[in-house]
Amino acid sequence: MADATQTGPASVAQPGLLRRAFAAMHLPLGDPFAIAGIVIYLVFIVVAIFAPSIATHDPTEILFTSDFMLAADLRPGEEGYIMGTTTLGRDVFSQLVWGSRSALIIGLMAAFMVALIGTIVGVVAGYFGGWLDTIMMRLADIAFGIPFLPFVIVLAAFLEPSIWNVVLAMALVLWRDTGRVIRSQTLTLRNRVYVEAARVSGSSDLKIILRHIVPNILPLSFLYGSIAIGWAILTEASISFLGFGDPESISWGYMLQDAFASQALSKGAYYWFVPPGVLIILIVSAGFFISRGYEKILFPKLDR
Amino acid sequence: MGTATAIGARLAQTLFVLWAVVTILFFLFRLMPGSPLAAYIDPNFTPEQQEALLARFGLDQPLWKQYFIYLGNLLQGDLGESFFYRTPVAERVFELLPNTLILTFSSLILAYIFGVLAGAYLAWKRGGAVEQIAIPLVLTTRAMPEFWLGMLLLAVFSFSFGWFPAGGTRPPCMEFESTIALYTSSAFWWHMTLPVLTLAIYSQGLPLLLMRSNMLDVMREDFVTMARIKGLSPFTVVIRHAARNALLPVMTSFAIAVGYQIQGNVVVETIFSWPGLGRELVRAVSAADYPLAQGAFLMIAVVVILMNLVADLLYAALDPRVTRG
Amino acid sequence: MTDTLLSLRELRIGYSVGKNEVTAVDGASFDVAPGSVVGLVGESGCGKTTLARALTRVLASNARITGGQAIFGGTDIMALSEREMNRLRWRDIAFIPQSAMNSLDPVYTVGNQLREVLVKRGRLGRAAARDRMVELFEWVGIEPGRLGDYPHQFSGGMRQRVAIALALALDPKLIIADEPVTALDVIVQRQILDQLKDLRDRLGISVILVTHDISVVAYICDRVVVMYAGKVVESGPMAATLTDPAHPYTMGLRNAFPDLAGAAGELVPIHGAPPNLMFPPPGCRFAARCPFAQTRCAGAVPSLKDLGAEHLAACHRIEERDALRAEALKAATWADMRGAA
Repeated sequence: MADATQTGPASVAQPGLLRRAFAAMHLPLGDPFAIAGIVIYLVFIVVAIFAPSIATHDPTEILFTSDFMLAADLRPGEEGYIMGTTTLGRDVFSQLVWGSRSALIIGLMAAFMVALIGTIVGVVAGYFGGWLDTIMMRLADIAFGIPFLPFVIVLAAFLEPSIWNVVLAMALVLWRDTGRVIRSQTLTLRNRVYVEAARVSGSSDLKIILRHIVPNILPLSFLYGSIAIGWAILTEASISFLGFGDPESISWGYMLQDAFASQALSKGAYYWFVPPGVLIILIVSAGFFISRGYEKILFPKLDR
Repeated sequence: MGTATAIGARLAQTLFVLWAVVTILFFLFRLMPGSPLAAYIDPNFTPEQQEALLARFGLDQPLWKQYFIYLGNLLQGDLGESFFYRTPVAERVFELLPNTLILTFSSLILAYIFGVLAGAYLAWKRGGAVEQIAIPLVLTTRAMPEFWLGMLLLAVFSFSFGWFPAGGTRPPCMEFESTIALYTSSAFWWHMTLPVLTLAIYSQGLPLLLMRSNMLDVMREDFVTMARIKGLSPFTVVIRHAARNALLPVMTSFAIAVGYQIQGNVVVETIFSWPGLGRELVRAVSAADYPLAQGAFLMIAVVVILMNLVADLLYAALDPRVTRG
Repeated sequence: MTDTLLSLRELRIGYSVGKNEVTAVDGASFDVAPGSVVGLVGESGCGKTTLARALTRVLASNARITGGQAIFGGTDIMALSEREMNRLRWRDIAFIPQSAMNSLDPVYTVGNQLREVLVKRGRLGRAAARDRMVELFEWVGIEPGRLGDYPHQFSGGMRQRVAIALALALDPKLIIADEPVTALDVIVQRQILDQLKDLRDRLGISVILVTHDISVVAYICDRVVVMYAGKVVESGPMAATLTDPAHPYTMGLRNAFPDLAGAAGELVPIHGAPPNLMFPPPGCRFAARCPFAQTRCAGAVPSLKDLGAEHLAACHRIEERDALRAEALKAATWADMRGAA
């Protein structure tokens, strides 16, 4: 265990577990766009955590005006609703705030799954080679042949519609890019001198993988994970928009579906359907900026 | 490896993936909760009638037998019968495929023409103020949900200004003698404008960014410098040498983009009530019309897989270093 | 010499590196006579390639011509507008690059690239271009049937011949060849050099041959210009300069290379590295590596002195050159410099 409090003349302060984990992520802190992306994420995370206190209303509650009429299609500011209300009399602002929760949960979970599966498949295929490699790469070929959005739709519709199933469906297809890249990276690592040396000196495969391969792979996993966040959030929005989303949770995709189905377009209720899209753009571009930052670290050649 | 062997191996891989996707599809649709015929069976049916129905769709057979029947039927172009329309799925799917393809190709061609030109231009004007604005803007279009962009365009150009129709392929009152007559009518293209624009705006980022970064690479190549030393005009240097080389991977990406686009069409077709494969898939899944959903899914998958193949072959065909190696 | 094709006068070329300006070519002057081959020799980074490229006026984006003239056919090509320069390029001044592989466009056949200059720059019709292409390929010893092949289908030597054919296409008065044989093996090097010699004799074209290899100079050049750290340190007729070098750097270079034929004495390297041109030393730039350097060498910049017979050199101890030359033939002289620089 690292002892961060230990102070001695010879001891360089051992970084704590959290700091080591942080360092392992190689966050691209040198790039202004990436920093902007990280800041946007932090803001969304704060909003998501404190959603109950930030939101002015329960996002699903049907609201009434002071003269006991349904608070339907109120414009921003009317009756004190900051961003207006929906046709069903729900508070748009509160829905936006709560929507950040499902967006983050979906995005981060899908990214985690994609990175995890992709990394495991890539490392195993690349390190062990042979028939394992053949099988896994054929699986990746198949995954490339599956139309992503239709697959998620069918799976979300046939299993019960929930955030978890959407995440599962996405992970089942999206690991393919990560897997291929990590496999080829593992292939080059496997033939490095120090890996050879470890193998000759009798280290077990598991030990070599954990010691020498995975630490070098991790930034790539994060890169592909950060790309997957955006994909996942956009996909979830599409799925919810088509009506296959989790009926229990308020998401921006759901808001857009609600607006579309309630004729918000012909009513010109821009205050209703513009903000969810803008928030999606914000969080997805934040992901892009972070992944571009990663790319600049990983492939300095691309920095121009 | 000879070119012929490589192409042969690639074709074999394509067939394998096709088979695998077909198989996954078969079992995927068996995941559906409840009886697959639930939507089809009238509650007033007698048990005998229900069994007769099951037999008609081959659902009384054991699973493995169903699978082989399904494979056999597929090979004969039989995709089953739609529960909802009570007509062959293949017929319906092939009726919708052109609508989807027209939408996909028109929007992508538009996106690629714009993206390639703008990308080449941005590479040429590298480091300028245009770049500072253009690149984040392009990234933003990539971060946009396509259907939301469609909603915006609808709200502004259809509902507010009334310049474009809100959906479908033709005005409700208009009838056309044939599909050809429909496709060549101005009304059709009028209806197509907004969905094509939506998809094109979303798609132009890929060719643009790809073209730009390829151009930046190629502009540093010796042969571009040599072209300048030869006293060729700046136009010849940039277009005939730099752009021509940078274009190779962009062309290849077109095929891949078709594959991506056609699956993403699902939402945009739904927004614009465009009678295509994607919208049909959504409707069929919602209505538990699984033969139709399966057929639409399969069709989309076939396009994706074929486009992956085309991308590889195109790359080989366009790059003399691969073909004439 | 009154009959001059190209005359460089105090040409200066600078690069901007960050906020600093680096002078890569610092006041280069020499003449090129019609039909002669001038070797431009020096270590990598001495400015010879920059100088060669400057004559085409196609430089890296951070490079700038900061002074001097290059009089070609009566006009200063450094002062021409880009349009005027473009008219001159390839028709009057052609270029043979170091790596023909990278300088041929991979997506066009070599015939296509030849036709491009013939038609677009030479204003030839398609039929005339076709005849010219066949003629050019025969000149450089490639079967005309290969015009339809792509660059990657040729061997390194063959590609270099293609590059020569390209350079000859419009009958230029001057060809600048930047290390044209460096990437090739010795036998092919000889073939290519013989080819160049032959074409020079037959067509009367002048060539500026940039090379770090003094044996290549000995094989083909009529005159030699030696550059060190951005400055011309010695120039003169090839035979006189190489047999009786007047600058210690030239003496050292001669020891460091085998004869092209392979018959060589002991190879003696010059120890150390050229100075950083961002902070050039105040005196003679070679002083730190020179076995004969004296105190004054580090203090003042030596100027080029005329030794007669068009032989020039810039060294403070030029009067002692015969003694120094004898000294320079000993390996020990240079070995003592190992710790220096």
